[in-house]
Amino acid sequence: MAKKSLFDYDLIVIGSGAGGSAAATIAAREGRKVAIIESDTFGGDSPNWSDIPQSALSHAAHLYYEARHGARFGLRTLTIGYNYPSLRAWKNIAIERTGTANNRKFYESHGIDAYVGHAHFLSPNEISVNRRHLSATSYLIATGSHWETPSIPGLADVEYLTPRTLLEELRPPKSLYVVGGGTVGVEIAEIMAIFGTKVYIAEAAGRILPEEDEEIGQLMERYLQERRGITSLTQTRTTAVVKDGLGVRITYSRGGVEKSVRVDKVVIATERVPSVDLGLENASVEYTPAGITVNDALQTTAHHIYAAGDVLGKARSTHTALLESRVAVHNILHKKATSPDYTATPRITFTSPAIATVGLNEDDCLRRDLKVDVALAPLNIVARSNTSDFRDGFVKIVADKKGIILGATIVAPDAAEMIGELALAVKYGLTANQVATTPHAFLSWSEAIRVAAGKLA
Amino acid sequence: MLAVDVVKRGGERPSESFERIKLERSIRAALLSVRTPDGQAEDTARRVTDIVEQWLAEHSEVTSYDIRLRASGALEQLHPDAAYLYKHHKVIM
Repeated sequence: MAKKSLFDYDLIVIGSGAGGSAAATIAAREGRKVAIIESDTFGGDSPNWSDIPQSALSHAAHLYYEARHGARFGLRTLTIGYNYPSLRAWKNIAIERTGTANNRKFYESHGIDAYVGHAHFLSPNEISVNRRHLSATSYLIATGSHWETPSIPGLADVEYLTPRTLLEELRPPKSLYVVGGGTVGVEIAEIMAIFGTKVYIAEAAGRILPEEDEEIGQLMERYLQERRGITSLTQTRTTAVVKDGLGVRITYSRGGVEKSVRVDKVVIATERVPSVDLGLENASVEYTPAGITVNDALQTTAHHIYAAGDVLGKARSTHTALLESRVAVHNILHKKATSPDYTATPRITFTSPAIATVGLNEDDCLRRDLKVDVALAPLNIVARSNTSDFRDGFVKIVADKKGIILGATIVAPDAAEMIGELALAVKYGLTANQVATTPHAFLSWSEAIRVAAGKLA
Repeated sequence: MLAVDVVKRGGERPSESFERIKLERSIRAALLSVRTPDGQAEDTARRVTDIVEQWLAEHSEVTSYDIRLRASGALEQLHPDAAYLYKHHKVIM
């Protein structure tokens, strides 16, 4: 006779975003009794508040930009305009169509009990959700991350936005000051600039997109200035924010010189921090402000509790969270543990041109003292550059001395689509010669990959 | 008063409602034990309790250990000696 479980569930998943949803559905399909807890919107941040709505608006923005600048192709587009409420309606259609946004019923149809509320550990096997006590044999923590508010004097006294709330605004602001020139900061800055907002990006580092190679930051800074009218304030520290009429006056320090600018709105896009306020101490789960501590199998210091996604404080992307979710649930359900393989996980910045990187970049190799060869193919050497009248961008490939591809960076209109080929090369240890001798379609941007790989072959 | 249930040490049930005055009193006692002047002890205890209450506002049920951790963390910033005593004193509520 089967032993009756001492707990309410086999698995409780805390968080219904990418880090939690895959695990919950896989476990339920394998016949486990599963509950999922969500404190915000079912489906998590990506489909409801970040990736999907931002991508939908970004697509419309780039169409608008291309149409407005179509005169060089013989198009008459002087009267083109936009209706922001309609753009918001389009964004909402895109959110609804994903199927993962606000999808509580999806879980219930899979036999997963769905609860709304903050989960708080009372003991290693018991949580409280709105005073309701639930227990489980295993847990997966996938609570994600949230925007951290930096300590800027006066910021708490003004109505500041985050990338999430900016996308919910009824109209684009006339002027915008974005604190943080990382991936999301640059992406939203570009969208708003296309819709006519005067945008300032303040970044403490010496270039925008500081996680990427130097030439990317420099190229994007120039491109955003020339094509979008965005002012990049690098090496800038925002020192004060005060209300000024209906807007805000920002004081910032750049190169030791203090200046100020008045804008309609300020957006905080500096850093996302893992959401770890769930009574982890009561379950003996170790964590730091940078994230929950896990081993290679994504197991926390409490052996029956696993964690996946942004709450780990590592790379923050939906595809990484999904990968970790699948690995974590595999390790919960099966004896033989596996580990997530991050070697070929692409990182994308959805600007135009987009930026896609995979594996090691040149800076990574320098830091690790690896002896590598680097080849760069500017986009303007391929025929597509001529027919699309687009010249900014490049493909850069890093290979070891045997020619094995270790990493790549692409700055191109379709970089997110192009990087797949090089991700495959990085994952399976292909050589530059193997990539270079593979036919690449004429008049596709991917010819630049062949050219860059050919320089290393 | 905040409607927060507190699960006592060792998981004793039923839980009881959070009482600000009990927390404030225990912090004040720790401060007085390290010879903090009366007025300062009262003021510090109030500030620490305010910080804990701010955190509790986002929760419906916590453990007494959670409260002790938050209170000692806040007290650490204001009075490290009292925080040490508070953190290592077994009976606080």
